[in-house]
Amino acid sequence: MRSSIIYSVVLSLLITRYSARVVLNKYMLDRTQFLEEEDNLQLGSSLQLTEEENEANEILMYWKNKEIEASFKNSTPFQLSKHFFKYKNEIAKSKVYQIIKKMPKGGALHIHASMMLDADSLLELTYEDHLYACYMDDGSLKLHFSDAVPLVLCPVNWKLLKDLRDASDDVEQFDAELRKHFSLYTENDELLNADINETWERFHKVYRTIKNLITYRPVREKYFYKALQNFYNDNVMYVEIRSGLHDIYELDGTTHDALYLAELYERITKRFIDEHPDFIGIKLILTSGRWSSIEKVRDTINMAKELKTNMPGLLAGFDLVGQEDKGKPLKDFLPVLIEARDEIDFYFHGGETNWFGTTSDENLFDAVLLGTKRVGHAYALLKHPTLLATMNQKDIALEMNVISNVVLSLVKDVRNHPLASYLALGYPVVLSSDDPGAWDADPLSHDFYVTFVGVASVHADIRTLKQLALNSIRYSALDEDRKKRFYDIFNEKWTIFVKKIIEGGLN
Amino acid sequence: MWPTLVYFLLAISCAVSIDEYENVINERHDLLQRELDMMLGNEITFSDSEIKANEIVMHLKAKELDRAYRSPYAYNFTRHFFEYKDAVKQSPLYEIIKKMPKGAILHAHDVGLLSPDYVLNMTYWDNLYVCFEEDNMQLIFSDKTPKVTCGTQWQLLRDARYTSIDVEEFDAELRKHFTLLVDEPHEVYFDVNSAWNRFQQYFITTGPMFCYKLAWEQYFYDTLKAVREDNVMYIEIRSTLPPLYDLNGEVYDSIATAESYKKVVDQFVKDYPDFYGAKLIYAPMRLVDAATVKEYIKIAKEIKRRMPDFFAGFDLVGQEDLGTPTKEFLSELVAAKDELDYFFHAGETNWNGMSSDENLFDVIALETRRIGHAFALVKHPLLLEEVKKRGIALEVNVISNVVLKLVGDVRNHPLATFLAQNVPVVLSSDDPGVWEADPLSHDFFITFMGVASRHADLKLLKQLALNSLYFSTIKDKDRVVHEFEIRWTKFIDSLVRDKW
Repeated sequence: MRSSIIYSVVLSLLITRYSARVVLNKYMLDRTQFLEEEDNLQLGSSLQLTEEENEANEILMYWKNKEIEASFKNSTPFQLSKHFFKYKNEIAKSKVYQIIKKMPKGGALHIHASMMLDADSLLELTYEDHLYACYMDDGSLKLHFSDAVPLVLCPVNWKLLKDLRDASDDVEQFDAELRKHFSLYTENDELLNADINETWERFHKVYRTIKNLITYRPVREKYFYKALQNFYNDNVMYVEIRSGLHDIYELDGTTHDALYLAELYERITKRFIDEHPDFIGIKLILTSGRWSSIEKVRDTINMAKELKTNMPGLLAGFDLVGQEDKGKPLKDFLPVLIEARDEIDFYFHGGETNWFGTTSDENLFDAVLLGTKRVGHAYALLKHPTLLATMNQKDIALEMNVISNVVLSLVKDVRNHPLASYLALGYPVVLSSDDPGAWDADPLSHDFYVTFVGVASVHADIRTLKQLALNSIRYSALDEDRKKRFYDIFNEKWTIFVKKIIEGGLN
Repeated sequence: MWPTLVYFLLAISCAVSIDEYENVINERHDLLQRELDMMLGNEITFSDSEIKANEIVMHLKAKELDRAYRSPYAYNFTRHFFEYKDAVKQSPLYEIIKKMPKGAILHAHDVGLLSPDYVLNMTYWDNLYVCFEEDNMQLIFSDKTPKVTCGTQWQLLRDARYTSIDVEEFDAELRKHFTLLVDEPHEVYFDVNSAWNRFQQYFITTGPMFCYKLAWEQYFYDTLKAVREDNVMYIEIRSTLPPLYDLNGEVYDSIATAESYKKVVDQFVKDYPDFYGAKLIYAPMRLVDAATVKEYIKIAKEIKRRMPDFFAGFDLVGQEDLGTPTKEFLSELVAAKDELDYFFHAGETNWNGMSSDENLFDVIALETRRIGHAFALVKHPLLLEEVKKRGIALEVNVISNVVLKLVGDVRNHPLATFLAQNVPVVLSSDDPGVWEADPLSHDFFITFMGVASRHADLKLLKQLALNSLYFSTIKDKDRVVHEFEIRWTKFIDSLVRDKW
């Protein structure tokens, strides 16, 4: 009895003496373990780096840390926490961006057909002959190519753009004004802080003007070729394009039907590949507006089936597009979509909203139930734990478009973008850019840069970047053979890229 | 014609795949239900009157949200809190939430709870001296001209006021020092640092005035009163415990400040026996070195020894991004962790992977009882699981995070995810007086309408209130929860009776 008391006293003394250190060690162990386990969960953590990749990674991370530390410590506002337009023109100075620009990024899987091209390139297309302009009272602009004054309605009157331009005192000024119709870019704070509906209205206005310009067959060909060129130059080797195929016209007013546009896409892509054999190609995701009637959707799906038979290499699947909060919910189209789901693959937009519990938010459920291959945006998904788990389990990829979500008024500070959590969870994510032309962003580099420096953890490194690129191949609609070829081309380019980083070093 | 056609086509397609269609609809319903069952509050079963009350609440909620959904320009919460804080008072749901018993406030800082009007009133007290400097001013109580350095000159505030041309104007100017409210919040507060600078200035300006012992005690007494009037029954207050002084210049120590608090609480509970008291979390500034933290801990232990029932635990405060990371104090904090309960701030940042963010790792490893803010936790899936497993409550302060510039649109606040996953959450208000919010009602209202799901109902509200009692350090929780239930039932009955 007594001895046991003595024993315990001695023991407790010993424990007190050493416990502080033991506890501290245990604590450090806990902490390190947490940090390591989290690192292991992160997207890209399973990649093993070669010695060269490690070296390149050190250089990349040196620049990344430098950039972030500058904001964190110097208490200068973090650029990337502001609206994209506030820092867009500064990005080119960033070393991290310069590296990312050169990086092979795989494919872009969430791109809308009419918004692929930057405003400068669109402006160039307005120098084509026979372009008529109709400047409307509400400040919007209609464009139409024609060999005579267009029959299309214009409340004011049609004038040849060339005449207007020649008659202006200052062509540069004239073009600068014209350019504004092709981009949402603005320095006006009020517009930057506008609510989501106002922003989408501006977006639609830009969309309509661009569509006017590119519905003319010869311009569409140039547009599409230039767009592919831009993606290619941005080191994107493959694009999945969402397009609601529509008629396009010739100068004399004759029109081609919607399928012709699909053929045009394929023809131009072939030509592009002939000249750039390392380009993989494109696929088409046929779309309907989500405000369409159920019959219209059925028609479009029938067209998708037709395309699948006639142009099997081109069609990836079907989607519904347009502002989700305002459009009809997916569940309104269930009968038609259920009917088609065995024949047509779905690539639905879902949860491009910051509402919680509304129909737009719950589109996510329908998309998953309908067996969607990927989900576009999935911005609201983070608020749906069970769905998140289901999607992870079914390996449904999330097509993230961070800059789009900023420009279209979902989020301001990208550090609050849910992508940070998806990356931390190691979920299947691909990065895309939605409508990069509409906000004068790079085809894909800006989105990669903003994600890497602004959204992902400070610790996220070259593995994250590589995995994101690899994911875009893995989750593409390509068949296995073409995927294999894609991987081969990617790996080759990646090795060169890594060498280039090392050559660039810390200068 | 058209509807018939649509219906006809629908009918055809349904005829083709009626089973499939039914299956999808059922599965959809199941999935949605599974999520609702997972949400915070799911364990609550409603009584009959609660069902009725809930219908009333949800009807009002749907009405307000549907309007906002259709016309987002009319939706307040995408804007800055200052632009809608008064407008929301028009909402019948706000009034309901105001009346609702809300349990406890577990995350609030002692001298940030009362409105600028209250502080302005205090400047009418005798013996208050003022020193107007270029942008700022100093205030101090004294029975003679203060010795503290003044760039211009000390004068009695009363004299300054009554020699001013326009007293109203004078007071309006003075009041500006006691609030963060401005007309153009986005211009004045363009990032976290610009907001924090103004925020800290408030404490620098008011601190020396509040530290007059009588003012301090009165402020706290009136804080408890305001809290009680907002239908809160208990509060855990964080304090840096600054030394207090008397008119004649005598200065006391931190322990005396704690004693002042205890005295006031005892008096208040005597005056208002329906209030369940207050406890103290000693929370000094984090921008210090390890040696200072060692001193802090000594003080904490001493207070605990002298006032074991009043002392709840220990925390460190101040802007996390610019403060010392928690890991710098590991040895000190680990050594004391068996003796002190921790209630650390952590992850009050939107950085990802920086020291402020990784404070989350430290405080969990340090076995914190609750975490203040945990804004960044949603980016740490592993820690989120750990928090659930260990039952560590998150003290979430939505309006504070808006005002201090972590998030603009509250729908992007990570609390939505925490609620959806049933992470243990308590709602609190941080420093509501400084942004002219209610002690707790505004935070509840905005969470309910702006952050939580459209489907979140009275269960969520009740659970949030209950959580604030469960995760408090109240000793006799059963008694308090019982009392809460009584008040809750009364609230429900009046809700049903008045038929909103």
